[in-house]
Amino acid sequence: MSFQRFLIKRTAIAAMLTLISVSVIFASLRLLPSDPFSGLVASGALTAEQVTQLREMYGLDEPIYVQYLKYVRNLFTLQFGISLTQQRPVGEIIIPALMNTLVLLLPALVVTAVVSSVAGMYAGWNRGSKFEQAGIVVTTFFRASPIFVTGILLLIVFSYGLNWLPAFGMRSPMANPQGYAQTYLSVDFLKHYILPFTATVLFYSGDFLMLARNSVVERKGSEFLMLHRAKGLSEMKQLARAGRNSLLPLVTYFALRTGMLFQGVITLEVVFAWPGIGRALVQAILNQDYPTVQAAVFIMALAVIVMNLTADIAYAKLDPTIKAGDV
Amino acid sequence: MSLLEVDDVKITYRTPDKDVHAVNNVSFSIEEGDNYGLVGESGSGKSTLAKSVLGLLDDNGEIRSGSITFNGRELTNLSEREWRDVRWEEIAYIPQSAMDSLDPVMTVGEQIREAIHTHKDVTDAAANERVEEVFDIVGLDPGRTEDYPHEFSGGMRQRVTIAMALVLDPDLIIADEPTTGLDVIVQDKIVQKLMEIQEEIDSSLLLITHEVGVVAETCDEVSVLYGGKVMEQGKTFDVFNDPHNPYTMGLKNAFPEVDEFDENAISIPGSLPDLVEEPTGCVFRNRCPFATEECESAHPPLVGDEDQASACYYNDRADELQERAADPETWGIDVPEDDEGSDVGEVIVETDGLEKWFEQSQSIVADLLGGEPNYVKAVNGVDLDIREGEILGIAGESGCGKSTLAEVVSALQSQTGGDILFEGRPVDDLLDEDTKQFRSKVQFIFQDPFDSLNPRQRVRAAVSEPLKVQGVEPEEIERRVRQTVSDVGLNPPEKYLDKHPDQLSGGERQRVAIAQALVLDPRLLICDEPASMLDVSLKANILNILREMADERDIGIAYISHDLASLSQIADRLAVMYLGRVVETGPTEEVVENPKHPYAASLLEASPRADPSIDRQRVLLPGEPPNPVDLPGGCNFAPRCPKATDKCRQEDPARSEFADGDHEAACFYPVEDIESELLARYAREREQADRESAANIAEHEPATET
Repeated sequence: MSFQRFLIKRTAIAAMLTLISVSVIFASLRLLPSDPFSGLVASGALTAEQVTQLREMYGLDEPIYVQYLKYVRNLFTLQFGISLTQQRPVGEIIIPALMNTLVLLLPALVVTAVVSSVAGMYAGWNRGSKFEQAGIVVTTFFRASPIFVTGILLLIVFSYGLNWLPAFGMRSPMANPQGYAQTYLSVDFLKHYILPFTATVLFYSGDFLMLARNSVVERKGSEFLMLHRAKGLSEMKQLARAGRNSLLPLVTYFALRTGMLFQGVITLEVVFAWPGIGRALVQAILNQDYPTVQAAVFIMALAVIVMNLTADIAYAKLDPTIKAGDV
Repeated sequence: MSLLEVDDVKITYRTPDKDVHAVNNVSFSIEEGDNYGLVGESGSGKSTLAKSVLGLLDDNGEIRSGSITFNGRELTNLSEREWRDVRWEEIAYIPQSAMDSLDPVMTVGEQIREAIHTHKDVTDAAANERVEEVFDIVGLDPGRTEDYPHEFSGGMRQRVTIAMALVLDPDLIIADEPTTGLDVIVQDKIVQKLMEIQEEIDSSLLLITHEVGVVAETCDEVSVLYGGKVMEQGKTFDVFNDPHNPYTMGLKNAFPEVDEFDENAISIPGSLPDLVEEPTGCVFRNRCPFATEECESAHPPLVGDEDQASACYYNDRADELQERAADPETWGIDVPEDDEGSDVGEVIVETDGLEKWFEQSQSIVADLLGGEPNYVKAVNGVDLDIREGEILGIAGESGCGKSTLAEVVSALQSQTGGDILFEGRPVDDLLDEDTKQFRSKVQFIFQDPFDSLNPRQRVRAAVSEPLKVQGVEPEEIERRVRQTVSDVGLNPPEKYLDKHPDQLSGGERQRVAIAQALVLDPRLLICDEPASMLDVSLKANILNILREMADERDIGIAYISHDLASLSQIADRLAVMYLGRVVETGPTEEVVENPKHPYAASLLEASPRADPSIDRQRVLLPGEPPNPVDLPGGCNFAPRCPKATDKCRQEDPARSEFADGDHEAACFYPVEDIESELLARYAREREQADRESAANIAEHEPATET
């Protein structure tokens, strides 16, 4: 099967999945016993006429299929509507929150994926060494402790104890930056950044280390590595070949994790008071702010689907045998 | 001075409990330009020796004493860095399993270039040119250097590894079972290529194999290893023509020859010593039928001259021992009084125009337009029958559809056309009626005894499971399990019933697998290469058990294999398959002695002979089997057949085209004389092709290389 065909097939599947998830979001919100305004009527804040007017304004009086079509059209043109509680476009609420989350988690994930994977490969190659044993114990410890515990520990030591780094938020209360560049490229931001970043790196490092180690251990006895060795390749080059052959599970896991980053890590955001998407979503749910919830969930689903597609394509690029078989 | 001198080497592997003495005081030497063979079964230490010459011993392996010198340089104390210079540039290596030994994510060209770049400071272009050159030498298309390993067939991958070994013109090439796992015809071509190349570039070859036939045909000198000891050593001709050592005799006699029929195959009873201690007596004594008390005292020294030396206390009685060793009873094998093999009963299973086609995936557009998909015709119109008490041998190369046929006949896969009649009734009806009942009557034995047993199940549980599925009473189960386990030669049963598979040897595992199949008293037993993973000395044992079962229990057996020598020993009738069709069938003896179809004849001729006095002409069948998706019209074999005419290319010959009693062959022009009609023509065709390619090379680069 050609790569092109593979690509078309995978993309088509991803598009189908997106449509299905969008429909599920739509259907599940419609299945709720009340609409956002019935509560207002019950509390006596609005009259029945006013509610009808509001429903008209939000298009809720139209037949359900028209609502669905409009909803789908708006989503795909990235118009998420107006927040019910904050009276401003949903995009304005969740996009900055999402950016804050990604700026924190994405670099952390990339760093840990690269560093821990390389360390894991080295550990697997030198099986039984001190390095391997220490690596497994340390990273498993951080993987096993909840991220907020690690976070609190870091805060106790470095903020309250040593007083080296600030404990709260993304910036100091006095700072008032405009635009992304000013927000993220400042020493003040960096100071706030270090601790949550470290907590994330430590949390994810175990997964990549163990995955890389295991798949190198699996490759280690293989005939082709023996032949590489017989050819006279140096130890490091042999390790590189083993590592190259161990990439598939790592890439899969990295893609999956990246997709899930868009949900944020709520406990981390709470501990460090980081204004991320996780917190925004929880707030929106508590406030019954359906347009915001709807948009946030959509973005999360889309991210997972897109990253899965990326993983599939990376597979085909990394493993020449995949193109030959039907996947 | 010899090129490679191995002197009194001892190698041990450290394991958590004990050290394993894999190689004990082995010495041999290889002269420049010589072919040297190391023969032995698994566990004989032959691969360990080969790896130690390349410094590739596993981390827990260690050369305890002795020396290995190469070109006068001591190898045993080299550092890893010094090793890197020796490896490949001076000693190259052809690995055992071509399927797994190429890096799946690198193009083959890249892998070979890497070997060049590691040792020589050359440009990419120069390296590339060299890669294309060696591709041409081993008979691969130089245009395919940028393909990935999975795009090559098994035989072609082995050629890639040979090309890789040649690329730096090494002084010594170590080939570790280079043809194991390849079909006979491919094996023949690869061995021929190796010999040609080796003559051309004048390197030495250390060939490691368990195939007595391959060594007998290729090597000048040989060492027969057993239990980490040299049993016999010397000129190949002398050693195999007139073996002095009982182990060599057993090994040679156990190696089946194509044209030895119905003789009870010889197998060496017992199993390898576990080598946790240095041998105190002769390592072979507990399996040797001639062992005496003297053999307990110490391992006998190698006695003899340069031409032949044997480690046995009874070298002077070699003639007498040879005679006795040829008799299966000497090895504790009961020869049935009278050959009841001809006592064939009713037809158990019959196939009629059986077809199994696999649909190929096609483009989405073609799918939508309703285009007719392509099919892989794995089984294409097969008519066969198997009778009570009969063993039907099904022979053919990998990819010919024999395994698919087996699975379809045993209803593990459904057919896409034709009928299977089991005791006169269609299998589909039987399955609808009572699947359990049908399954109990047809049993399957798989190829790999290491994978086909559940590692967490004890022998008792494994063998009784089929009975439990059938709902048999517990006491009855226990009785039948014991009986069957003992029937397959695991005696006494108590010793084996509570063991896990990892405590059993390969031969014992395969016997458990056979017991598993036999415990239900099946009518039909289908065996897919049941002995191909086993050592020669054990292989014969499995064959004998199956023969016995067919005769005693009156079951029909389909024995599928690419190993014609085993087939000719065990099978009453033979069916030769090529690309989904049976091209020839008939009584084994007739087919083997007088093959009519050119393919069957080539296949039979390609089996190596253990007797060094036979000078066999190699079968250099051109090309590879065509892609089974778009088969040519007419006879499938026509594109490779030297006798093919236009008629063959247009018309598909019926199987009864040649018929002489039960002997049928699907060929318009049955073979009369294999030598002149086929082998000589193959050789001529090849010479011509070689000349053409030589002319091509000469055009590209004038002069130089001789």
